[in-house]
Amino acid sequence: MDFKPKRPQKELKYEELRIYTDEELHNYTEEELKDFKIKHDIPDLEELEKGPWPSFVADAKREALHRKKLPKERMMIDQDVVDDLLGQLQLSFDDGETHWKHGGIVGVFGYGGGVIGRYSDVPEKYPSVAHFHTIRVNQPASKFYKTDFLRALCDLWEFRGSGMFNMHGSTGDIILLGTTTEQVEPLFYDLTHELDQDLGGSGSNLRTPSCCIGKARCEFACIDTQDLCYELTTHYQDELHRPAFPYKFKIKIDGCPNGCVASIARSDMSLIGTWRDDIRIDQEAVQAYIGGEIQPNGGAHSGRDWGKFDIQKEVIDLCPTGCMAMEDGKLVINNQECNRCMHCINVMPRALRPGTDTGVSILFGAKAPILEGAQLAVLTVPFMKAEAPYDNIKELLEKVWDWWIEEGKNRERLGELIQRKGLPRFLEVIGVPAAPQMVKMPRTNPYIFWKEEDVPGGWKRDIKDYRLRHKR
Amino acid sequence: MMEEIKKAILEFAETSKKSKFYFKDLEKAVQAKIPEAKMRDIKKAATELVNEEKLIYFSTGSTTMYGLKGRGITEDQ
Ligand code: SF4
Ligand code: SF4
Repeated sequence: MDFKPKRPQKELKYEELRIYTDEELHNYTEEELKDFKIKHDIPDLEELEKGPWPSFVADAKREALHRKKLPKERMMIDQDVVDDLLGQLQLSFDDGETHWKHGGIVGVFGYGGGVIGRYSDVPEKYPSVAHFHTIRVNQPASKFYKTDFLRALCDLWEFRGSGMFNMHGSTGDIILLGTTTEQVEPLFYDLTHELDQDLGGSGSNLRTPSCCIGKARCEFACIDTQDLCYELTTHYQDELHRPAFPYKFKIKIDGCPNGCVASIARSDMSLIGTWRDDIRIDQEAVQAYIGGEIQPNGGAHSGRDWGKFDIQKEVIDLCPTGCMAMEDGKLVINNQECNRCMHCINVMPRALRPGTDTGVSILFGAKAPILEGAQLAVLTVPFMKAEAPYDNIKELLEKVWDWWIEEGKNRERLGELIQRKGLPRFLEVIGVPAAPQMVKMPRTNPYIFWKEEDVPGGWKRDIKDYRLRHKR
Repeated sequence: MMEEIKKAILEFAETSKKSKFYFKDLEKAVQAKIPEAKMRDIKKAATELVNEEKLIYFSTGSTTMYGLKGRGITEDQ
């Protein structure tokens, strides 16, 4: 499906947006870098440069040198901000505790998120990081960028901030690391007006929804993850920018059960593409895999000789529900038993494909360990169609929000609320019937409180009569 | 109604024990005075107060709180 933007899109051209010349961007040599020392001693940080992996310390030093060689008036915050950042980090290593003060004002007018105040508690030692606010930039669906955008953003951030950023934070946003309070509003203005890009969510907000690359590049995608992500982002702008939730709320979208954005583990609402008809089988291609003409797993494990492909051992025996077999030389699948684990499809992508009656499975309540322990999401809606404008998905989501806002305690994630109130209550609220698959061990843990209306015929219970026979 | 809610919010913001409070506490305080006030109206009223620069947001990054401008830490420390 073609992308239809909800408002006219600006075409960004780096040549029109750039702040620095090529000479300014390439202003030091590798020789100079070798001899370069930042202004503080950072022995422990330098240890981190020694291993086989790329180190953020090495990157930060490059940036420190780069800033040192730029004329001072070409940057709006202190030239040596990177030096002071590394210096303060070394001090934290020495002391075994952080020197950031947690929390602060949120800088952009009218927005309740996207900017996170950070202040040093040793500003006299490291004055250039006295303010070091973090800014979240809303990533586009699937994180496709034009280099024009990225280069313009790099220039802008060099000019108004520390020049350092993360690609990406775990919510998905680009995280711009460190600027002063005075620079926050001008940066926001440039970001929105020049680069046509919004801030992401932070705090007790809807966080920036995120999705896998989906149909843009992946043939397994059962739904248009990018379209859904874009729709939810634009539709819920108020929830994204003006916090009134008990705590954070994350939405992530995987195009198929392979779960490349791991929505099942990382989001309060996880949408996973799936199908409800049969896995499509191309029997000729199955034979080609068996005969060795097509490499299994798209050739992904060809670095080593694993011997001849054995469909019985490598596919059929590994099917977790045991629903596959070879019958008269043909591969057959009992689709009713298939739990969409994707294994067979991943091994033989040219022979097997997801069905065509596609939609999403919806899961709720995953979270990382802060406060209570980590939690995976619980499958709540096994199948729902996912077609624009996604009113069915929005309706469900809003029911969940209403309940959580009403019942949730301060700083209680949805998953914790579901645990506290119980899954049956949650199902009641969203109007989904309970299914045996939702019970972890239905045969060993049959402790269920039935309501009269749940049981055909109901029951009569006379408490006085009961008390005649049973003392309190 | 909107004006009443805004007034109730400001009263709470001026007198609450803590200078920063969660939305939920704000909601409860307003509903104690105006029982029929709905969450969405309270949110709208709070947003208007932020836009009028009477309330401010305070964020730790993971959680957001509200505060009265000028009370407690509001500007830079
Ligand atoms: S989650 Fe599925 S559809 Fe999305 S990129 Fe991964 S394999 Fe492809
Ligand atoms: S997707 Fe998984 S469960 Fe379904 S048939 Fe293939 S291996 Fe079996």
